Amino acid sequence: MAQSNPPFMSGVPELLLLRLLDQSEMYGYELVRSIRAATGEAISLGEGVIYPALHALERNGSLQSKRKAVAGRTRVYYSLTGKGRQRLEKLHSDWRRIQGGIATALETPSHA
Amino acid sequence: MPELQLTELHSELLRSGVAPRHARRTIAELADHYDDLVEGALGDGADRGAAEVRALDDLGDLRDIATAIKAQPELRCWAYRFPHVALIVYPLTCLALLPAVPVMAGVAHAGYLARWAACILLSGLVTASIFLFLQLSITLT
Repeated sequence: MAQSNPPFMSGVPELLLLRLLDQSEMYGYELVRSIRAATGEAISLGEGVIYPALHALERNGSLQSKRKAVAGRTRVYYSLTGKGRQRLEKLHSDWRRIQGGIATALETPSHA
Repeated sequence: MPELQLTELHSELLRSGVAPRHARRTIAELADHYDDLVEGALGDGADRGAAEVRALDDLGDLRDIATAIKAQPELRCWAYRFPHVALIVYPLTCLALLPAVPVMAGVAHAGYLARWAACILLSGLVTASIFLFLQLSITLT
């Protein structure tokens, strides 16, 4: 069964979704594939859990969706809104700050 | 995707207070995602049975999906988010709508009402004609 990696995943799916949707609009299946490709498969999601995250982001105004008929099927495409772009910038800077802090902590010699 | 599993997930979401439109949409998107996964697996050369098993595996445990949805308060219907307000608003709305119920019922059954009114009108005309005939008979004899 597909597993998520909960201990380090807080806020990561949101950041990744916003980042990928900043580049182009996508539907759920396409997004999961893009996350895999963009992270070198380092992040594995139970693919179904992407939808609650997308719906919540849409509900808070970060994303918008529209239905498109493609090859006889109706797909829901998600794209970033202005509010979503602001949220992405904030999450990105937060992530950089945390990443820098952790890198510093890991590089500092331990005093055993 | 097996219909039974989707139906169960849909019911569980509704029971947990997830707004019906979010529940419906999640189910539809999961079903589409599953179909894409099956197509992908078939494209990789798997037979249908193996493709369906792999698709279910990739999609993840439906209980995890349900938990993830339930963890998003903004996806719940407002009565679950604001239960105290709902306790006041629902009864007041029902009271306010009570006088409109006969009108709404009339609109909903307009065809029956029209037929019923036509029958009453017709029977009234027949009765009036009979009375008129009797009255004329008495007067002229």
